[in-house]
Amino acid sequence: MPLSTQSQGEDEQYVLVASLDHARNLSNILKAITFKDHAIFNATPNGLKVTVEDSKCLQANAFIQSKIFQEFTIKEDMVGFQVNLTVLLDCLNIFGGSTTPGVSTALRMCYKGYGYPLTLFLEEGGVVTVCKINTQEPEEPVDFEFCSTNVTNKVILQSESLKEAFSELDMTSEVLQITMSPSQPYFRLSTFGNSGNAHYDYPKDSDMMELFKCTKTQTNRYKMSLLKPSTKALALSCKVSVRTDSRGFLSLQYLVRNDDGQICFVEYYCCPDEDVAED
Amino acid sequence: MDCVLEGNAVKAFGKAIHSLSRIGDELCLDPMNKGLALRSVNSAHSAYACFLFSPMFFTKYCLGPDQGSEKVQCKLLMKSILPLFRCLASIGRNVEQCQIQVNTPNDRVKIQFFCRHGITKTHNLCYQDSEALQAVFASHLCPNVLKAPARLLGDMVMHFPVYQEEITLSITPLRVSLRNYFEGANDHMNIMYTEMSLHPDEFDYFLIGVESDITFCLKELRGLLSFAESHCLPVSIHFGAAGKPVCFSVDDMILEATVVLSTLVNSESRGPSQLAETAPRCADVVSESPGEADCRTAVPAAMEMIASSQGSPITHLPALLLLPTCTEPPHYQEEAHTTPASTLCSLLFRALSSETGEGLPVLVCCSEEEESEEEDVMRSPTL
Repeated sequence: MPLSTQSQGEDEQYVLVASLDHARNLSNILKAITFKDHAIFNATPNGLKVTVEDSKCLQANAFIQSKIFQEFTIKEDMVGFQVNLTVLLDCLNIFGGSTTPGVSTALRMCYKGYGYPLTLFLEEGGVVTVCKINTQEPEEPVDFEFCSTNVTNKVILQSESLKEAFSELDMTSEVLQITMSPSQPYFRLSTFGNSGNAHYDYPKDSDMMELFKCTKTQTNRYKMSLLKPSTKALALSCKVSVRTDSRGFLSLQYLVRNDDGQICFVEYYCCPDEDVAED
Repeated sequence: MDCVLEGNAVKAFGKAIHSLSRIGDELCLDPMNKGLALRSVNSAHSAYACFLFSPMFFTKYCLGPDQGSEKVQCKLLMKSILPLFRCLASIGRNVEQCQIQVNTPNDRVKIQFFCRHGITKTHNLCYQDSEALQAVFASHLCPNVLKAPARLLGDMVMHFPVYQEEITLSITPLRVSLRNYFEGANDHMNIMYTEMSLHPDEFDYFLIGVESDITFCLKELRGLLSFAESHCLPVSIHFGAAGKPVCFSVDDMILEATVVLSTLVNSESRGPSQLAETAPRCADVVSESPGEADCRTAVPAAMEMIASSQGSPITHLPALLLLPTCTEPPHYQEEAHTTPASTLCSLLFRALSSETGEGLPVLVCCSEEEESEEEDVMRSPTL
């Protein structure tokens, strides 16, 4: 394979080298968090974490563990940079994203360190493309201070049941209201749109409900425009965990299985909507 | 009103709403003793559809205590209710039961879907109170009647492109034909003309009283044809000469569906030049005019759709026969504010304000003499 015939010397310059036989295992998961142009990449020996934020109210993270990669070499404890995510995705799909069986794009992602571009070697059918994407100083991601000890309510649902609800949500509603309670209605999604309101109720004993741990009744509203991008992650996932903490902050965690059956995670954090108008 | 639908009935109900959405932007829910009627009218009042579900269609059908004295008819925006039934396949898979309640304490129509896995979806939709707009069509007076399996009509109609607005149905003792219609036929070179004919034997029932060519809006009919095909129901067509409305209907034990469409007065566009230029297209939105507005709001208190037992249309028969004389331009010119399209509209529903009965004969008439308690309360207020 052309990608592996690079000289040994070149390799030593890179602080991060990550290779994938199927670039789509990375591009598919990155698509689930592409709602803004820029993403913060943070690599550690555990793997790659990619963060995208919107106006300090919404944060999405994609985790790709090092064992997903065919090769993952990191020379420092932590390597961070910021790139234009749209450009990166365009490069990863440079061969057109064909789905012919047996044909896939191989990826070798290399980074020399601060000030250097992110270099992508992409190969398909013997053709190699080299892309160099400028990197920027990584911004510090917002710390939503969401910790498990503060979690008041948690449910884990099979994504299939939520996918339909999210695709039907009344988009004329400015907010999505989430009610979680140890008693009826247990788990409820509500919208308040131009034609009226709608409620989607999931009982705690539903066979779609894998885990139900609600300690107190909480109703929080979140801006629909902020949560809309999360439907991409929902579409890819097979399970989703919904947690709220005492402040009403929302954490959505999606379990995504890639084409090779490996597991990656995507999570979304969202602040509750401040201007809550009573119904 | 409180009713419950189960299983396939939910899908059929949704399909009816899809069909009605092809007609107008508003849906009228009319709970009656004999069933729940869903109606829609297009903005030009040249197309009307009604789906009547008998109480047997429902697992439970209860009218509230106030139904006897005061009619509750809800007008909903189609864009509020259609999304709830948008994906019929998913409804078929997931919805076990659907409950519709009207006159719940909060003045909303409450539609609840009880789905698999214990999931419940509740929609509270805002509605407007309204008088039901009902078209009355004396189908027993139609000289021509055809009945065919939905499949046959679907197969005929399939030959016309989706964008085809109007088609002409011609009937002679020897054949029934359908061809596409283009007004103003100026652009002969760019139009593909399609015509197909069927022998009378192809129809389950064939009755010809008068040879005619009627031109009507195909788009508005497609919804009913699709519904009929999905339920394998034959479609009946009642019509007369050009200019009189055509009625397409299907019925089985538990539901009836009807679409009444106005037809062009001069379907061949060879009439007075005025008419040819501004030949009303059934789907056109008509400009507002005083006459037009009246036509819309002054809804006639209605007779039932199949009026044969009511009898009153007979009193207006002379008006129907007068129609040909009214196609002359001078009559339209007198109506300074109405376009031919609005005239067509007025022909379909008699505006109560034009009590004088001048000029415009009524093809689809209301019965002011009806005594039955149901119709009494459906009378519109006098203007």
